[in-house]
Amino acid sequence: MSEHAVEHGHAPAHRVAAESHHPGAAQYIVIAIVLTILTVFEIGVYYVQVLQPVLVPLLIILAAAKFALVAMYYMHLHFDDRVFSALFLFPLSLAALILFSLILLFTYLSHHLVL
Amino acid sequence: MAAQPKAIPIERASYLEGGGIYGWLTTIDHKRIAVLYAVTAIVMMAFGGIEAMLVRTQLMYPENNFLSAHTYNQFFTMHGLTMIFLVIMPLETGFFGNFLIPLQIGARDVAFPRLNALSYWIFLLGALTMNFGWIWGGLPNDGWFGYANLTERMYSPGLNIDFYDIGLLILGVSSVMSALNFFVTIVNMRAPGMTFMRMPMFIWSLLVTVILILLAFPALTVGLIFLFMDRYFDTHYYRVIAGASPILWQHLFWIFGHPEVYIMILPAFGMISEVLPVFSRKALFGYPMMAYSMILIAFLSYGVWGHHMFATGMGPVADATFSITSMLIAIPTGIKIFSWIATMWGGRLRFTTAYLFAIAFVLQFTIGGLSGVMHASPPIDLEQTDSYIIVAHFHYVLGLGALFAILAAFYYYWPKITGRLLNEKLGKWHFWLSVWSFNATFFPMHFLGELGMPRRIYTYAPNMGWDFWNKWETLNAYVIAVSFILFFINIYLSLTSGERASSDPWDARTLEWSVPSPPPEYNFAAVPTVISRDAFWVTKYGSVEAPGSDTGPPMTAPALVDLSKIHIPAPSLYPVFIALGLFGMGVGMIISWYRMVLIGAALLVMSAIAMCFEYPNWGEENEHMVAESFLGLDHRKVGIWSFIGSETVFFASLISTYMVYKSRSMGPFDAQILNIPLTSFSTFVLLTSSLLMVLALAAFQRNDKFWGTFWLLGTAFFGCIFLGGQVYEFGDFWLEHGMLFNSNLFSQCFYTLVGFHGFHVFIGVVWLIVMAIAGIRGKIDSRRALSVEMAGLYWHFVDIVWVVIFTLIYLMRTVKGA
Repeated sequence: MSEHAVEHGHAPAHRVAAESHHPGAAQYIVIAIVLTILTVFEIGVYYVQVLQPVLVPLLIILAAAKFALVAMYYMHLHFDDRVFSALFLFPLSLAALILFSLILLFTYLSHHLVL
Repeated sequence: MAAQPKAIPIERASYLEGGGIYGWLTTIDHKRIAVLYAVTAIVMMAFGGIEAMLVRTQLMYPENNFLSAHTYNQFFTMHGLTMIFLVIMPLETGFFGNFLIPLQIGARDVAFPRLNALSYWIFLLGALTMNFGWIWGGLPNDGWFGYANLTERMYSPGLNIDFYDIGLLILGVSSVMSALNFFVTIVNMRAPGMTFMRMPMFIWSLLVTVILILLAFPALTVGLIFLFMDRYFDTHYYRVIAGASPILWQHLFWIFGHPEVYIMILPAFGMISEVLPVFSRKALFGYPMMAYSMILIAFLSYGVWGHHMFATGMGPVADATFSITSMLIAIPTGIKIFSWIATMWGGRLRFTTAYLFAIAFVLQFTIGGLSGVMHASPPIDLEQTDSYIIVAHFHYVLGLGALFAILAAFYYYWPKITGRLLNEKLGKWHFWLSVWSFNATFFPMHFLGELGMPRRIYTYAPNMGWDFWNKWETLNAYVIAVSFILFFINIYLSLTSGERASSDPWDARTLEWSVPSPPPEYNFAAVPTVISRDAFWVTKYGSVEAPGSDTGPPMTAPALVDLSKIHIPAPSLYPVFIALGLFGMGVGMIISWYRMVLIGAALLVMSAIAMCFEYPNWGEENEHMVAESFLGLDHRKVGIWSFIGSETVFFASLISTYMVYKSRSMGPFDAQILNIPLTSFSTFVLLTSSLLMVLALAAFQRNDKFWGTFWLLGTAFFGCIFLGGQVYEFGDFWLEHGMLFNSNLFSQCFYTLVGFHGFHVFIGVVWLIVMAIAGIRGKIDSRRALSVEMAGLYWHFVDIVWVVIFTLIYLMRTVKGA
C-alpha cells in the first residue's frame, strides 16, 4: 500500500476528475446483454456449417469485440485516464507480436526441419 | 489482522543510524534496502569471481585436471548466473535504482515501500536457492541459458537444474515486483515540475529498464514453468520424441534474454550519463536524443531475440528480419556514444576515479558493441557462434561495460551513500589495474575464437595453438582479482577512517546532491520544485549551461520546515516471512520435502494477507496522494495496470505454445474431446460474474455497503461455479478419455494453459472472499471503493483472458493450427 503524502499538489485537475466518471448499473447491464448476445453469436457461428470457411475471421472479430467491451466498460478504459490504456495496449501489442512471431517461426520449422 | 503499527520517529540524522539488526530486517526505507542489495550483490560478486578464477585456472593448461568436467560445468554456469542475476542486475536496479530513484526525482520513498522490502528478501532467498547446491545436490550445470533438452531429467538427473529452474523463478518474482514498484514511482511520484524531459538520464534509463523487465520476464517464467513440468510431471515440452521442439525453450529464453542484455546495459548508460557531465563540467550533450535512443533500443530489443538463434535454422526471412533489427540497434547506441564524447569535448575535465571508469566504459563498450554488430550478420554469426569470440563480446559489453559503469557510479555515489570519501589514490590503482587486466584477459579471447576454440569446453588438446593465450588470460584474470582486493581495501579504509564527505563533494547537477551525505530518512525536508533539467545545478548557478565554479559549489541555505509533519511509513517483518515462505516452497520442492512446501505455502499466504491489512487505512482512497502525484492517479491503480500488462505477455507465451504444439500432438486431439456446451456455460458464468463485479463496485462507490457486499459474494460464487466446471471438465478428460497431464503435447499445453487461468480465477475468488468479509464487517465504504476496483480490474482481466482462450482453444478446435 502506498502511504506517501507530498506536501503540495500539482496533479492536473481533469485527471483527478476523470476517475469519478464510471458508468452506473444500468449501463453495466446493457454491456452484459451485448456480451451475452455476442457469445451466443460465437457459439452459433461455430455450429453453422455454411459459415465454416469464414469461421476464423468471424470468431476473431466477435472475440475482439467482447474483449474490447470488457476492457473499455468493465475495466473503465473508456472513462479513465489514457495512461491506463497505454499501460494495457502496449503490452497487448507486444503479446500479439510474440504470438504471431512464434506461430510463423514454428510453421517454417515444421515444414523444413524434423525438430 | 495485525496490530496498528506506529509511525517511527524521524529525528534521526542519517538513514544509516539506529534500529539495530531488527531495524535492518524490518526496514522499508529505500536507502537501507539499497544497502542490503549492495551487500548481498558484493558477497555474490566474490562468489562469482572465485568461480571465474577456478574456471580460468582449469583452462590455464591443455589437458588440465584441476577441475573435473562436471565441476567445471557447474562453475562456469554459476559464474554466468551469479554475475547476471545476482551481481549486475541487483547492483544496477536493486542498489543504485533503490537508492537514487526517490532522491533523483524528489520523492521521500518508492511508491510501495513494503513491496520494495519484499522484493529484496525474495531476491536474497532466490539467490540462496540458486546457491543451495553448494551444500546439497550440486550447482546448476547447463550454462546460464539452460538449453533444452540437456535440462531434461534424463540428461540431467541430479538436482542441479532444479536449483536453476526454481531459483530463477523466485528471482523473477523479485525482479517483476521491483520493476512494477519503480515504474509507478518514476511515472507517478516525481517532484512538481519534473517532467519527463527534465528527469535525470539515470531515471530515464531505469524507466526503460523496468518496462523491459515487466514485459520480458514473463516469457522466461513460462519457459521455466515448462521445464518444471517436464522435470516434475514428466511432460514433454522440450522432448523431441513426443513431437516437441527444444527450440521452443530457445525462443522463450531469448525473448527474455535479449531484453535482459539491455536490462543490464541501459542502467549502465544512465550511470555514465550522470558521471560524465559532472566531471566534464558541462551539461549532457543531446539530452532528448539520449532519451529517445534509450526508448528505441528498448523497443527494438524485443525484435532481435532471433539473432541468438541463427544457427538453429529459422529460415532466410526470419534471419533477415532479426539481422536487420539487430543492426538497427547500433544507430541509437551510436547516438549515445557520440553524445558522451560530445559531452566531454571542450569540458573542464576532472580525472577522478569515477570519471576514469566512465571514460573507460565508453571506449570498451564500443569495442564490445562493434563485435555485436558483426554477430547481427547471419553468415558471420554462423562462423563465430559458440566460439570464444562470443565470450570476448559479452565480457566487453557486460564486464568492461556494465561492470565499469557500476564502478564509476560506485566511486561517484559512495560519498552520498556513506557520507565518506573513497581514497582516490587507491581508486586510481584499482582503475589502471582493472583496465589492464580486463583487457588483457578478454581481448585475446577474440584471437582464441578465430583460432577455433569453442566456448564451454573444460579442457583442450595441447596442439591446438591455444596454449599461450589461455595461460596469458588466466594470469591476467588473477590480476583482476588483485584489482578487486584493492577496491575492497579502499571500501574498508573509507568506512573505518575515510574523510567525511560534504553534501555535494563533486559539484554535481542533480537533486540527490542537494541533501546531506548520507541523506536523512525522509530524504527531503521540503520536496523540491523543479524548474529545469539539472535541477540542483540550476539552483546553484542559475542555468543548465552555467560553467560552475572552480572553488566548489556555493552554499545553499537549508530549508526551514517542520519535520514532525513528515510521515515516515512504519517498518514491517511480513516481507521477510513471505520470502521465507516462498523459499521453503522452492527448496522443499527441489529436495522433495513436501511438508516444507506446505509450511512455506501457509506462511506465504498468511503473511501476505496480514501485510495487506497491516495498515489501518488499507485500501483507503488517499486524496492527498492522488492530488499530489505527478499524473493525478492513484499509485495502486497504476500498479495493478502495470501488473496486468505484464500478465498479458505471460498468457501470450502460454497461448503461443498451445497454438504451436497442438498440431504436433498425437491423439487424443482437441477436436475429439473439448466440450463446447460445458465451456459455453462456463463462459456465460464468467461474463455474468464480471457484471456482478462492476455492480459491486458501483454499489460501494455510492456507499451502499449491503449490495456491494452482496454482489461481491455473488461474483465469488460465480467464480466458484466456473472453477467447478473446470474441475468437472478435467475429471471428464481424465476418467472418460484417459487424457492425463502428460499424455501428449495437446494435453500438457491444454492443462497448463487452462489450469493457469483457473489458478488466476482461484486467486481472484480468494481476493473477493477476503474483500467480502471486509465488507460484511463494514470495513468497505465509498472511500475504500478503490480496493474493490483493484480486485475488479484483476477479475475482468481474468475474464478477457478467458474470452481469448474460449475462442482460440475451444471454438477453433477444428481449425488446423501452426
